[in-house]
Amino acid sequence: MDKLWVVIKREYLERVRSKWFIFTTIFGPVFFAAITILPGYMTVKGMKNSRVSSIRILDATGTGLGHRVAARLASRKDTAAVSPLQGRGAQATTEAIPSEVEDINPPRLAMAESVATKAVIDKINPGYLVLDSATLTKGTARYAGRNASAVGQMELMQEAIRQSMIASRLEGAGIKSERIDSLIRMKVDLSTVRLDERGRGESGIVNFIFGFIVAFMLYMMIMLYGQNVMRGVLEEKMTRVAEVVMASVKPDILLAGKILGVGAVGLTQQIVWFGSAAAFITYGAVMAKAMGIPEMKNFTFPTVSPLLFVSLFLFFVLGYILYSSMFAAVGAMVGSQEEVQQAAQPVVLLLIASIIFIQPILLNPSSTLAVAMSVIPFTAPVIMPLRMTAIQVPPLELIGSLVGLGLTCWLAIWAAARIYRIGLLMTGKRPNLKELVRWIKYA
Amino acid sequence: MTETALDIRGITKRYGDFTAVRSLSLAVPKGAVYGLLGPNGAGKTTSIRMILNIIAPDEGTITLLGLPNTDQSVLDRIGYLPEERGLYKKMQVRRVLRFLAQLKGLGAKEADRRIDEWMERFSLKTADKDWGLAKIDELSRGMQQKVQFIGTLLHDPELVILDEPFSGLDPINAQALKDTVVDLKKRGKTVIFSTHLMDNAERLCDSVCIIARGEKVLDGTVAGVKQEHGGNNVALALAEGGADLVHRVLSDHKMVERVDDSNRFFEISLQKDADPQALLRRLIEAGAKVQRFELVQPSLHQIFLEKVGATGVEVGMSGHG
Repeated sequence: MDKLWVVIKREYLERVRSKWFIFTTIFGPVFFAAITILPGYMTVKGMKNSRVSSIRILDATGTGLGHRVAARLASRKDTAAVSPLQGRGAQATTEAIPSEVEDINPPRLAMAESVATKAVIDKINPGYLVLDSATLTKGTARYAGRNASAVGQMELMQEAIRQSMIASRLEGAGIKSERIDSLIRMKVDLSTVRLDERGRGESGIVNFIFGFIVAFMLYMMIMLYGQNVMRGVLEEKMTRVAEVVMASVKPDILLAGKILGVGAVGLTQQIVWFGSAAAFITYGAVMAKAMGIPEMKNFTFPTVSPLLFVSLFLFFVLGYILYSSMFAAVGAMVGSQEEVQQAAQPVVLLLIASIIFIQPILLNPSSTLAVAMSVIPFTAPVIMPLRMTAIQVPPLELIGSLVGLGLTCWLAIWAAARIYRIGLLMTGKRPNLKELVRWIKYA
Repeated sequence: MTETALDIRGITKRYGDFTAVRSLSLAVPKGAVYGLLGPNGAGKTTSIRMILNIIAPDEGTITLLGLPNTDQSVLDRIGYLPEERGLYKKMQVRRVLRFLAQLKGLGAKEADRRIDEWMERFSLKTADKDWGLAKIDELSRGMQQKVQFIGTLLHDPELVILDEPFSGLDPINAQALKDTVVDLKKRGKTVIFSTHLMDNAERLCDSVCIIARGEKVLDGTVAGVKQEHGGNNVALALAEGGADLVHRVLSDHKMVERVDDSNRFFEISLQKDADPQALLRRLIEAGAKVQRFELVQPSLHQIFLEKVGATGVEVGMSGHG
């Protein structure tokens, strides 16, 4: 098909030449890194950096546990807070303001708590910790404060209480207090490994991040390029160039050329992005060393199996075709830029549905929800690859999902081509659902 | 020339309850300049879109250059200028033209050569400025019209179809268009254009077809159509200030069937048995200063008005002829 090729070439070259393409290709990864890695980095940094001190401790245990906890909270050194980029050996040992400890008789605890609450409200303390008999027997303690939702700080406090209780028990068992510290100060780093059927494993957390990035990339690319097709169709309709072109090629070929041409632009961009990412990971360590940055530990690129790679490609292509043909139909239906965003809402919502469920599905990739969403054609392009990065998806589910998606694609193209054929020459009011069905029927 | 460039047989197009074109048949001989005339909303654009297979007729067949118009290859031999014109705004002029040429099956090199030729001919490319390197939206409206016109003709089509080509053209571009149509005819090409401007049609066309409300009203060669309708017609021109003097004479229906009053110029259809000499006498008696009094054939304009009348214009229809 010579004409198809001419159309594809125009769509491709005009976009690749545009400033928009050059800009997003260069700054896309920067932006992407910023929105995906930065929040994570900040959270981790915040977690490690946080110190819990100057809180009020209400100790009703009568065992001096409160003082131990206060001492542990205050003595914590912030070795972990030094990021690898800050240089060697710069250990921050900022002096913490010690927490106040109140030894309280159990019957007076309720009153002390209400005083402490007021102190928190008056911003005298960030919060208060209650240790009582239940702490000793059941291992429970209560904290109330402004920072109660800071996960990292709460973990630190929990750890301090635990260590204090162990220390007091060890002391009770007759071990010298000087030794206790070295005994209980031990950190465990749990590195998780995902095993597949062939027994090859990888770091779980790396896979988690990889899965998230893959799903989000698929979503973004389908959304960006699907809407790009829509704007292209609308442009041809509004500038009336469509009629000139349609006197030379069939509308179906024009539509196919547009979808393929824009899709090729998307693939080009991804090749550049993934290529530069691979290069960065391969040579990044060398570059970092040359620049005097200490080695980056634990940063390995997850191995992508050929099956996953092929599936990723297929799901991107099919997902893109499905959504871009729907977007193209929307572009042909409306008559102005103002209308198009509103008319595209239903299609956008279908796509957004998959991104909303990324997290629950990553946490539980074998759940019914996950299976269902990876088979439903409208969410499959994002959800199935996501699941595949996390678990071994049964072949039947994978094949079923692909076949379903393929069939839906075919249907979408068929309907879109009909809407496109009529819509491109129409002016005036946007068709309602009934009229749309008539267009599809009689085109 | 007996070969036909376009042969339409009984095409009908309906949109729901509305019939845009009703069993229209016409034939355009090769090498002719053919006018498709009709008021706005008569079905001209719909007919042209069906000729180009942009929309399919509900009934009837269309043959282009001896082939059914559904044959994709025949469309490569046709040039089309739609009424609503447009080009890719952000695209370079030269690239747009190359794209349009390649869509018609022209090679890139040949396209480039012809683009240069046409651009120079329409003075879009001069020694100090090559507009081919500019983007479409940097061009003036007149220049964009030229580019669009070049795009229509770049692949040297055997049949050129122009939908309302004169609408929106400034006088200079209109003249350039006329010259080009004449030139195309000289080179043996067939030109079909739609218009509601009868003057242009009368000057340019060999044959015409008048349609109204989706139906053919009449067709034939311009000369034939005029002869057929050539009753008792008089062209009258007055010197300044005489118009009010002749009104009474011209509104005498015993003598005058109808008058197209253009203030100083009148086209008058006399009743069949009326004597033109008697009319001239009465005009002079009325004190009119006659500059011109001539027995003529009716103009297309007059035939159009007579045939289509004021009711020919459907009210409230789409702007597409």
